[in-house]
Amino acid sequence: MPKEESSKVTRRSTRSSASVTVENPEPIESHPPTIDDLTFGDESITLDAVLSDFPGRRSQIFDFIRLMGPLDCPTLPIMIYGGASTGKTSVVLQVLRHLNRPFVYSSCRTCYNPRILFESILNQLLLHRKCSSNGYSSAKRCDKPSDFVNLLREALSNVIKTLESATGTSRLNKPDEKPMGKMVYLILDNVDLIRDWDKGSMILQFLFSLDSVLKMPQLGIVLISGLPPDVYYSNMGYTDPIPLFFPAYSEEDLRQIFLRNQANPKLYSAFLDAVLRSFCRVTRRVEELSTTFSSLFRKYCEPLDDLGISPNEDMKRRLYSYLKPFIAPCLNDIFRVSSHPHDGETRGERRQKVSYSSENREELKILDFHMSTSAKYLLIAAFLASRNPATLDASMFDSTGGMDNRKRKRKASEKSMEKKEIAEQEAVMKGPGSFPLERLLAIFQCIASVGDSSFGEENQGEEEEDPTGYDRENNNLMSDILLQVSSLCDANFLIKSGSCPLEGSIRYRSMVSEDLALKVAKSLSFPLAKYLYRR
Amino acid sequence: MGKETPAEKSLNLIRGRLCDPSYVFRPLSASSDSNYSKLKFIVSTSITEGCNNSMLLLGPRGSGKAAVLDLVVGDLLEQFPDSVSVIRLNGLLHSDDNCAFKEIARQLCMEHHLLFSKMASFDDNSQFIIAMLRACGLAHKTIIFVLDEFDMFAQGKQRLLYSLLDAMQSVTSQAVVVGISSRLDADQLLEKRVRSRFSHRKFLFLPPSREELDGLFVHLLSLPADSGFPSGYVSRFNDKIKNLTSDTRFKDILKTLFNANTTVNSFLKFIFCAVSLMNLESGLLSLENFKAALSSMQRQPKLEAVRDCSVLELYLLVCMRRLEVKEQSSYNFISVMKEYKAIHDSFHTSDYYAQNVCLRAFEHLRERQVICYAENRGQSQTGEYRLQKLLISASELHQGMRSHACCPAILLKLLDH
Repeated sequence: MPKEESSKVTRRSTRSSASVTVENPEPIESHPPTIDDLTFGDESITLDAVLSDFPGRRSQIFDFIRLMGPLDCPTLPIMIYGGASTGKTSVVLQVLRHLNRPFVYSSCRTCYNPRILFESILNQLLLHRKCSSNGYSSAKRCDKPSDFVNLLREALSNVIKTLESATGTSRLNKPDEKPMGKMVYLILDNVDLIRDWDKGSMILQFLFSLDSVLKMPQLGIVLISGLPPDVYYSNMGYTDPIPLFFPAYSEEDLRQIFLRNQANPKLYSAFLDAVLRSFCRVTRRVEELSTTFSSLFRKYCEPLDDLGISPNEDMKRRLYSYLKPFIAPCLNDIFRVSSHPHDGETRGERRQKVSYSSENREELKILDFHMSTSAKYLLIAAFLASRNPATLDASMFDSTGGMDNRKRKRKASEKSMEKKEIAEQEAVMKGPGSFPLERLLAIFQCIASVGDSSFGEENQGEEEEDPTGYDRENNNLMSDILLQVSSLCDANFLIKSGSCPLEGSIRYRSMVSEDLALKVAKSLSFPLAKYLYRR
Repeated sequence: MGKETPAEKSLNLIRGRLCDPSYVFRPLSASSDSNYSKLKFIVSTSITEGCNNSMLLLGPRGSGKAAVLDLVVGDLLEQFPDSVSVIRLNGLLHSDDNCAFKEIARQLCMEHHLLFSKMASFDDNSQFIIAMLRACGLAHKTIIFVLDEFDMFAQGKQRLLYSLLDAMQSVTSQAVVVGISSRLDADQLLEKRVRSRFSHRKFLFLPPSREELDGLFVHLLSLPADSGFPSGYVSRFNDKIKNLTSDTRFKDILKTLFNANTTVNSFLKFIFCAVSLMNLESGLLSLENFKAALSSMQRQPKLEAVRDCSVLELYLLVCMRRLEVKEQSSYNFISVMKEYKAIHDSFHTSDYYAQNVCLRAFEHLRERQVICYAENRGQSQTGEYRLQKLLISASELHQGMRSHACCPAILLKLLDH
């Protein structure tokens, strides 16, 4: 039988990459990775430091340490689950730093398919670092679970042999450091994302039964998941790992978390007294609250000259009454991600210019991204096409480009009112309707001509005879319009819905909310309300 | 090198035993009519008489099928050192035929110290395997094929199974094929031609009886009298275990556990959790450890999800429940918002937030799998218009809200009527 292939993956070099010469060679790696790099690496920390770093996680930290067990203790697989930003990953990593045990960490968010995941784990175990000298390639190529199991077994046995010989020699340089032990821990983060992968259920099944397939007691497996274990149940079944739950933080814990690392704890705690309870009713996630609190705290501190003072009761009350009118609008803005970068002074200035109570709505009416005029008209045309039924187009967009304003005053009977309600409810349920491309372009031409005539162009005379008088000038712009349609599709303002096999044309659907359409119409001074069909 | 306290040493020892399946299943297989002895008898006769055989081990997950087979294989390897070789395949990894043949060829090469080429084609591998089977047959060596997750091999065209079983019949070979599956109807999945070559020998692995489990408990947790433990500690530990087994409260805990799941693996998990909670100063197990282990194993994830919700998210859940009660079986975000507005108008609650905030809270609920899209094909609509459905029942919602830290009383009232 021919010899086994060499272990390094050779990459095919294209002609261009082979001809390019590197001008400044990168500095050579000062040290190749050693077995020590499998531990956390920084200074080891005490248990008290871990407990104080994570307020509110005391029982979970103790449970996790107990499940890990003392040194060299074999363990069954553990699954840690909880909501977002509850501290799962950081607690696991800090506890492993405290215990000073070697581990391999891999996240299924950055390793987005099985091959990258397997290769990242193997690279860490084989102490291989990707650098320019090996062309940034992995140590071994592996994309199937069967290869992964064999390679993992080899790599693990090498690592364990090195660990065993390392514990044999005494460590003279750091006598107070804890021994590393003979076990290696495999930590897989964001396991719930695997469900969306191609063949994700097979990979999940494989990961859950990894310990029984490998049969190596020196490997401990820790899975971190954002979803509870019951979403992984499938009809194949598996022995589920030991669960450890990280609940969301309570108000007390949130207060302690936010008080950490504050320059002036007393001032901040007075601020939290004012806002924490009301904001906790909307969300208890740390990342969402912290962005809102940072901007609100800046507002809170505005009337103060000296940020280092600790406030007494009277000052607290005055600061609270200053802040109070801003709290309610801020609650309604809580999930909004600002599109402007966070520079303190300009933002404070803008805030001072625009007071929140009524002009907030003015600020919201300005479109904060740029669109070309034809794209804006196209967007409005799509919005109208989705909202109005097709049969009304003729009356809405007649030759003068205006809406027929004759309202038929007829007393509505009970039955027709009921029918109207049911129709309205159905419209609510179905959402925006779909329309073919031709209808979109027809409406676009009508309203674009309206817009032009409102700017006072000389085409007034031709308007009466030819409702699509715009057409002649726009013939050469038609290709641009189609390009605009496709870029609106990319920006998700329009989506392609199903196409009718009889008609053969593609149907589109507008995904724009009424707020955005109003903003766009306002920026063009287009009377949108006149064209909207209200039942 | 810190010295281990006796408590830590005993913890290491017991956890090591729990993670080692052969230690666990040996006492369960001690009797003469257990699956272990029957299996051993059949395989050893086919080795000594030089004939082919095939069998299936069936049973629910965690009942020790692979462990018992490993015990049998281990014993046979000791008994007949040179005439047995083992090839292990797993249905999760090797259900693809190319993979499976490559893996068999690789393991055969490793056993017989041949060089294995990764670039060998499928035909090369299959010819090699048939040649090896013939050679081993002539040399009176038996090859045992262990096919884990047998039902995964029975998907698709079943080429591997057919070639193995066909080779066993046509070539002069000595092979035993053992399939392990947790599907009790695994043999019904076989194709007609495969089934005709398969000898329908099945071993059923049933959950052990209560007495066997009690015996297993004592066997796992008793510390040996020698091996470096302080002797007073050993006797105290073992006495504590004996006291626990006769305690009625402990028997109740076990009964609750076995009402849900009687397989050996879940029992092992329970003991593992309890042992990890052992008090390291006293070094003895207590009843509280077992109670805490039981509660940590029997979790209710949906209740926990409801308890983690913020007040706004609870409002949205209550609105959806009310829509369901009103016989409106399909609803989307817009109708939920209408209900929310209606509640606010009639009760003047203080929690009325703008639409974008509610939409984001709705998304949080969907991420946590408390609600989900009702159908998959509505991909062409925005999230606001797609139909949603609740993934928790009304009673779970009730219970969760009652145990919630700061649920407003009005929500409970709204849910009830």
